[in-house]
Amino acid sequence: MSRHQDQKVSIFERMGIYMVVIALVIIGSFVSPNFFTGSNLLTVLNAVALLGIVATGMSFITYSGNMADLSLPSVMAFSGIITVSALPLGLPIAIILGIIAGMAIGAMNGFVVGRFNANPILWTLAVTFFMEGFMRYVCGAQVYPDTTPGSSGEVFIAIFRIDDKGLLLNYICLFVNKIFGTSYVISFEIPLVVIVMFAMFMISHFIMTRTRFGVESKLVGSSREAAAGSGINVKRVVLMDFLFAALAASVGGIFLASMNKLGVFYLGKGYDFKAVTAVVIGGMFLSGGHGSMINVLGGVLVIGLLANIMTFLGINTFQQNIVTGSIFILVVGIQQYSLRKQGKDHG
Amino acid sequence: MAAQRSIALKMNNVCKHYPGTLAVDHVDFEVNVGEVHALMGENGAGKSSLMKILAGSFSDYTGTILIQGKKVQLHSPKIAMESGIGMIYQELSLARPISIAENIMAGRLPKKFGFMLDRKQMLDESRKCLKRVGLDVHPDTAIEEISQHEAQLVEIAKALGNHPKILVMDEPTSSLSRKEVAKLFEIIEQLKKEGLTIIYISHHLPEIFKVCDRVTVMRDGKKISTDKVKDVTPEKLVEMMVGKAVDQFYTGHKTTIGDTVLKVNNLSRYGFFHDVSFELKQGEILGIAGLAGAGRSELARAMVGLDPIDAGTVELNGEYLPANTYPNSVREGLVYLSEDRKVDGLFLRLSVQQNIVAAIIPEHSTAGVYSHKHEDDTALEMIDTLEIATPNKLAESSNLSGGNQQKVLLAKWLACKPKVIILDEPSRGVDIGAKKMIHEAVIALANSGASVIVISSDLPEFVNLADRAIVLRGGYIIGEMSKDNMTEESILLAANGESKDMITQSEVSS
Repeated sequence: MSRHQDQKVSIFERMGIYMVVIALVIIGSFVSPNFFTGSNLLTVLNAVALLGIVATGMSFITYSGNMADLSLPSVMAFSGIITVSALPLGLPIAIILGIIAGMAIGAMNGFVVGRFNANPILWTLAVTFFMEGFMRYVCGAQVYPDTTPGSSGEVFIAIFRIDDKGLLLNYICLFVNKIFGTSYVISFEIPLVVIVMFAMFMISHFIMTRTRFGVESKLVGSSREAAAGSGINVKRVVLMDFLFAALAASVGGIFLASMNKLGVFYLGKGYDFKAVTAVVIGGMFLSGGHGSMINVLGGVLVIGLLANIMTFLGINTFQQNIVTGSIFILVVGIQQYSLRKQGKDHG
Repeated sequence: MAAQRSIALKMNNVCKHYPGTLAVDHVDFEVNVGEVHALMGENGAGKSSLMKILAGSFSDYTGTILIQGKKVQLHSPKIAMESGIGMIYQELSLARPISIAENIMAGRLPKKFGFMLDRKQMLDESRKCLKRVGLDVHPDTAIEEISQHEAQLVEIAKALGNHPKILVMDEPTSSLSRKEVAKLFEIIEQLKKEGLTIIYISHHLPEIFKVCDRVTVMRDGKKISTDKVKDVTPEKLVEMMVGKAVDQFYTGHKTTIGDTVLKVNNLSRYGFFHDVSFELKQGEILGIAGLAGAGRSELARAMVGLDPIDAGTVELNGEYLPANTYPNSVREGLVYLSEDRKVDGLFLRLSVQQNIVAAIIPEHSTAGVYSHKHEDDTALEMIDTLEIATPNKLAESSNLSGGNQQKVLLAKWLACKPKVIILDEPSRGVDIGAKKMIHEAVIALANSGASVIVISSDLPEFVNLADRAIVLRGGYIIGEMSKDNMTEESILLAANGESKDMITQSEVSS
């Protein structure tokens, strides 16, 4: 009985989410003739790219058994504010400072949760509350980049709008063509943020499966006590998980500030919950130690496709939130149920 | 008729099956009204199963039970309680943040108007219960604000609140100081005078002789005998508990012993163990003997860096190990097989393979990148050497039997090729075949030049494995025993502080 159950779970785990992606693409094609076009699918990717970037970071929090980092929205806002404020120093330095600022919050979270075993949800919730006040008090209401032509601010607000006009991808094509003697040409433009998202997924997939840190995160997520009892430095692993999450959120935050052409404390709101939803829809267990980045990407795509289809159907944002929330509740419910059942089976 | 009324509890032909074992094997057990009756036996002898039957934990036992001549079927804890059974477990069952009164009255809080809590009556009644155990604390105090000893008394008061006819006390003194034990005995005497019947479970021989009237010994699920305490000696009791037939499969470990590998210098963790010093040689198997609560596991955990230490040092191959850093100890080759595989031993939700390689991830990483290549071979080799019965190496470890789970846990540490391994209850809850396999692996490890420390409440196992033993009692090393005068009896007597075969600490140092 239990073995049969396990097999069903594992097939669903491995392929399930991409079957949902395919199903949504088919449904979308029925909903509107404009759905299955290159430009619309690119719109979907563009719309979920920021979420995808944040979700790569959130995945490590969930994977290591810390459930969710609710401070990621304030990490996003803070890195955006710092980047915009530091623009006079030049764009590269501004971006580096923005990322460092975001990761400072991650370092604090990771230290407190790892060292003192604080409840990650409550702790990061408190940090969000603190950071919101801090950003309003110290950084003022909003910071705008100086966008006069020729300034680094002008380049900054363009970051989100940069399309790879075939440049990068065509280099890849040239490379492929040279080796295999093919003649691929890419004719459409892919936004930089989408490329960064895919790059983040590739990097995090590598980290999760191929590095000592990734494997140890899995062990910590499966059982923190057993990991400590196996000689794993749990404190360090948890710290690194929170650092990586903050890194991803900072990158997302910089894109978000660029998109909005300003840095302000409320940018990033809602990304915490949406990212956890993507992670959980992607089959990662909220209890930790189980999941893969490939499936989390699937979860991100499902959220993007759903929103796109609902927009075609004329469903407004608030109603869409109801749907996303319901899906989260459903998926978590199923997960908890199956875990409990397994627990019972193991007696 | 009069004789019958004086029998508080009569269990006839009682059996309890677990899958594969007969935990309670046709036991007849009789307790008189107003006596303190000791129940003794080694771990796994069946005494806790017998008491669980009494507590109503099982609905599938066979045999008959009479309480004060009335036949009862103890199929649920509620029925057991209503039939007059009160239980006091070794681990306290009190809720720490709430008050003494609420704990005592839990489940039967007095009501006003049918729905409101009657605080006054609650406090009055709990005060009455507290008085019976001689505890003068305001019933509004939270459990976490009182001492362990007082909590123990509250636990008794709580059990008394249900007006039991028979009170079962399971190792009630394991967490108490000598003075507190004396006070507890006064209370037991008092309760006895009031006509309460007490079943007293303990490993501590002196306690039995101090407070009990009769003693029943169990072994391998069977009742061995019931005697008046004044008719037996500690030696006789131990002999009955251990049994005369020594297990034949034990092979013993004989090896040449080399240089000092591990040196523990004046190690203390206040409240757990004090001023512990000993040396371990290469290829040696050292046993740490002692009763539950003597500080054996605490010592082991602190030595490797899982728990903090207050004073002292640990040297491995002449180099001091930094305190409180277990990852470092593992890297240096000092590892600890934990007592409870389900808590900090196994990753139950992960595969056998992932468990086996869990401690050698750093070893197979270069610049942070981990190579999975070795995993298949390592796992298969371990499954092969330890004969781990698993459908395949990717099976979830929680699906394995207890014995095979324990082998997986041992495999994890064997895979790291340790210099010193500390085994805390290496074969607890394990079938005889797995036990034999584990012992062979441990002996092979010692023969290959590693050193082993064994902590075990399983006396045949202890005597078989250990080349030498140090005896821990109340957190202090009280002596040392060589292989020659180590028997199950002598170990048990030594752990109780009553041995003649032991070289005491003062003799060692002089």
